[in-house]
Amino acid sequence: MSAELVNIVINGVPLTVPAGEMIIESARRIGVEIPHFCYHPRLSKEAGANCRMCLVEVSAPRRNPDGSVVVAKMPKPQTSCSLPASEGMVIETETPAIVEARRGILEFLLINHPLDCPICDRGGECPLQNNTLHYGPPTTRFVEQKRHLPKAFPLSDYVVLDRERCIHCARCTRFSGDVAGDAQLGFLKRGADMEVSPHTGERFTSLFSGNTIELCPVGALLSRSYRFRGRPWDLMTQKSVCTQCSNGCNIKLDHRAGRFVRVNARVNEAVNEEWTCDRGKFGMEYLARDDRLQAPLIRRGARFEQATWDEALAVVARALGDAGAKSAFLGGTRSANEDLYVVQRLFREVLASNNLDHRMGPDFVAVGAGAMASDGRPTPPVSFGELEDASVFVAFGADMAWEQPMAYLRLRKAWRRGTIRLVSVAAKGSAEDERPNSLASMAAAVVRHDAGHEVEAAWLMLRQVVAAIGSDDPLTDEVRRQLAGVKLSPEAIGCSPQELATAAAVIVGEAPAEPTATGKLAIWIGETAVRRPGMKDILAALGAVAALSRYDGRVSVPATEVNEQGARDLGISPDTGPGYRAVRPAGLNTAAILSGVADGSVRALWISGTDVVGRYWDPPAAIRALEACPFLVVTDLHLTPTAQMADVVLPVASVAERNGTFTNVEGRVQQFLKAYDPPSGVRQEWRIAMQVAARLGSAMHYASSREMLADIAATVPIYVGCGPDALGDEGKRWFAEEVAGQ
Amino acid sequence: MGELRVLLEHRDTPGIETLDVYRSTGGYEGLARAVSMSRADVIAEVKASGLRGRGGAGFPTWIKWQGIPADAPMVRYVVCNADEGEPGTFKDRELMLKQPHMVVEGMAIAGYATNARYGFVYIRGEFLESAQAIRRAIDEAYAQGYLGPGVCGSSHSFDLFVHMGAGSYECGEETALMSSLMGERGQPRAKPPHAPLPVISGLWQRPTLINNVETYSCVPHIIRRGGAWYASMGTERSKGTKLFSVSGHVKRPGNYEIELGTPLPELVELAGGVTGGSLKAVIPGGSSVPILTAAQCGDVRLDYESCQAAGTMLGSGGFMVFNEHTDIVALMHVTARFYAHESCGKCTPCREGTRWMYQIFRRITAGQGRPEDIDLLLSICNNIDGRSYCPLGDAAAWPIRASIQRFRDEYEYWIANGTSPLGATATPKVS
Repeated sequence: MSAELVNIVINGVPLTVPAGEMIIESARRIGVEIPHFCYHPRLSKEAGANCRMCLVEVSAPRRNPDGSVVVAKMPKPQTSCSLPASEGMVIETETPAIVEARRGILEFLLINHPLDCPICDRGGECPLQNNTLHYGPPTTRFVEQKRHLPKAFPLSDYVVLDRERCIHCARCTRFSGDVAGDAQLGFLKRGADMEVSPHTGERFTSLFSGNTIELCPVGALLSRSYRFRGRPWDLMTQKSVCTQCSNGCNIKLDHRAGRFVRVNARVNEAVNEEWTCDRGKFGMEYLARDDRLQAPLIRRGARFEQATWDEALAVVARALGDAGAKSAFLGGTRSANEDLYVVQRLFREVLASNNLDHRMGPDFVAVGAGAMASDGRPTPPVSFGELEDASVFVAFGADMAWEQPMAYLRLRKAWRRGTIRLVSVAAKGSAEDERPNSLASMAAAVVRHDAGHEVEAAWLMLRQVVAAIGSDDPLTDEVRRQLAGVKLSPEAIGCSPQELATAAAVIVGEAPAEPTATGKLAIWIGETAVRRPGMKDILAALGAVAALSRYDGRVSVPATEVNEQGARDLGISPDTGPGYRAVRPAGLNTAAILSGVADGSVRALWISGTDVVGRYWDPPAAIRALEACPFLVVTDLHLTPTAQMADVVLPVASVAERNGTFTNVEGRVQQFLKAYDPPSGVRQEWRIAMQVAARLGSAMHYASSREMLADIAATVPIYVGCGPDALGDEGKRWFAEEVAGQ
Repeated sequence: MGELRVLLEHRDTPGIETLDVYRSTGGYEGLARAVSMSRADVIAEVKASGLRGRGGAGFPTWIKWQGIPADAPMVRYVVCNADEGEPGTFKDRELMLKQPHMVVEGMAIAGYATNARYGFVYIRGEFLESAQAIRRAIDEAYAQGYLGPGVCGSSHSFDLFVHMGAGSYECGEETALMSSLMGERGQPRAKPPHAPLPVISGLWQRPTLINNVETYSCVPHIIRRGGAWYASMGTERSKGTKLFSVSGHVKRPGNYEIELGTPLPELVELAGGVTGGSLKAVIPGGSSVPILTAAQCGDVRLDYESCQAAGTMLGSGGFMVFNEHTDIVALMHVTARFYAHESCGKCTPCREGTRWMYQIFRRITAGQGRPEDIDLLLSICNNIDGRSYCPLGDAAAWPIRASIQRFRDEYEYWIANGTSPLGATATPKVS
């Protein structure tokens, strides 16, 4: 939007607005609400302006042939959602003609609408209901047969479509085509027969389908899981954070009578704007599962017996206390920051053990704080805003829309704006090529290699970049030596030399006009790469690529689990404590802990919230280790395969049942608030850790998550700005100025 | 005034569809002359001719041409709207079928004048023979250097493509045509004041000139014989000649070319006069324009201004003549069905309103009309008119509103008696 300002008048009120701003937005500035259905500020204007509800009367200056200027009224009313403000415009939104026009539009919208509000999920939060109440005709003049179509047509596992209720506003089709990029929803037929549909014979498999439910201004697109489960006025809502990935989407957690009901997006312009992904929106259903653990379990031979907390904590405290420095902790990537902070204090301060790790891949390179600056200062991870503003983005071994859904939407947004070039590097046949939402469809370069050759692909990329730039100056001797050892041809790993060359050209960038390139290059390494051996090589090669590029390059291994970044930041690592302070002596990493339970170097293991059996890159090794484990305590919501191998299982409170904070993939600390009471038999993890410490004679004195966060902010330098009063609704990214010079 | 053949001068010349015969009648002289002139002079000639868009709106052609940023460093397109779908109109079909080179030459001149590199002829899907004729003409023109690299020996290059529509009336609306041409759903796109004109941002957001088949067909004559010559025909503000597709109750239905400003009754006489009874009504410009009663017809001249003054429009020249046995309610039933069927569905008033009106007509002609239906129809017309996204909605409302205003007694008869006021002789028959 241009910075130029123009003077307009709305309902007699003069105001100054940016030129080109849509009049419907300008009106909001002075509190004038113009009713609408199809308009949505985040959807394209080009395909909008179809509901015709937002009509206004417009006069605009017009130059006569003799040069004089008159303000002439346009003969037809105009849609304010698509009308850009220009100098001298005079708008009227409440004239008799407009009131009548709205009435007419609403009558048209209602003649074929079934008016089955009493059994519609949308009833009570329905824009069509609300606008009809305010602006509509009280009765109908329609005596013909309404349109009839089968109700509740399932579009996907998550979404059903009621075409009788549809008002054809095209919000869902525009979302699917523009924002999500799958373009799976469109219109079939025409005129009054027109209907929303996936393309003939296909299903709505978008990873972002749930957003269309919230965008729908009527009850046409509905959630299959929420359907008939409640009326909006019966629901309570709480501010929460999605736990299904590291992006930390802000959500509204709706609940009823102490049970989870549904998730809607909560606006956070810095994080999820107003979107969610299906993995989150529908994945949060786990909160309503019936198989929640309700009481501690203690193994007696082959089976578990329910125990009191007193019994269970006594067993756990004794086992950990006996193991002392030979105790270990794994996981924590689904725990709150407060839990992690107290747990690591228990291990480091009470048990004198640095055997903590959260990483489940084969390699244990330091990825926690993104690239550590040369002065050892932790650098916060790349923010979504920075990602959107980047000039080039490279996804390496990542299934972006699945692993980093909000990052994917940002990249798509930037791509639509034409400000970013995308490179997708992945194994042939990987999920990136199967998804309806993928970077590949937008990418300036797509490199595909045979599965399992991520390391070779990274070195070949570097070789190509060196060739493109004609110099290997900034490379270290070590990297030069390694690169010289790469004898493979691209074809040997099933890779097209042409693809590689195109990718290298995009990454290297045009020669900058200025001596310093201002554009940013972000390289993100995804799960596929992380879960295979060779991360050291990949980081070395791609780090060199970033250094060689004419852009300001940075390689990230973004967190993928809800609080993986928190686990990194708060010291769930054998060699760094909270805030990335080096720890001496370094403890055991995940691989060493798992092998340690067999050789006696680990005598008691606490696994928190992570199903190690399912998450560890080498599941058979994990199973063998846990079978051999002398004492295993698991804290979780459910009896996961890992929990089934435990000696003691301690049930914990879910995200809906407590307050706390998570740190998302950007290093943004975000609060979630308690929606309803936990079952009586479960406890919060930090409380469990405190109670174990107390039984071992070391009392910690926290009464609430607020007190813990305050303590974290006071003692962990990078979190100094993230205290309980600083977070607000948008959360706050950590920063590192305070540790400069450490 | 009266018949004056410019475009149709050689309609019966054998072989006029071939390049050689077309050239023997002066064909491609206009193009050769154009490329020897400056672009600005070509546009000035079109301006001098006073030519206005023959697709229906009557917008001055030169303003569109002038609006194309011909020197901006970007690709430009010229599009011929050959999606002739207006009921009662069949002039473009004949022009393309019989004199395809005239269309091709007109587009090539427009391509030169606007510095456009590519042209598209968007032809209605049902016009298979016309499309074949255009394709043959394009092939011949390429072979003779009138199209392709270096048009007529100049440095200007122009490639011309044929694209066939898929049978949607809406795609004759220029922005919907562009959507369809780009492979999207045939729905209209934003226009001023909401978005730039196609001449600024059209196909693929590039400057795009869209004119009707007949408009392009006039251009070779204007360039060859001069704008002043063309402007010497017609009236003060409606210059030149216009094709009318005369149909209905006349002795010799067909395409007629008359000088603009010719009295309406002269065109009826040119087509052999009314058959089967006395004149009852005329729809002068295609089904979208308001109907005229016989009493109104006598004073109307066929030019843009006179038609507007008479409460109708010249439109696309679909001139339909109805004798005294015409059942206006049945006629409007058919019309309402057409618009309900052709509404693209994009916007609320047109999508819902056209279907609703058709439902009411169906009920009235089934003998189930209610006295309040007449005012209800008028109210629906008012709720569509001026509020739809594109003119299709207006075009659905205007004829029905005019028919009620001018033939209300027939509606009242249908509603009171459940049958046609004309009894067994009524046409069209209600199905």
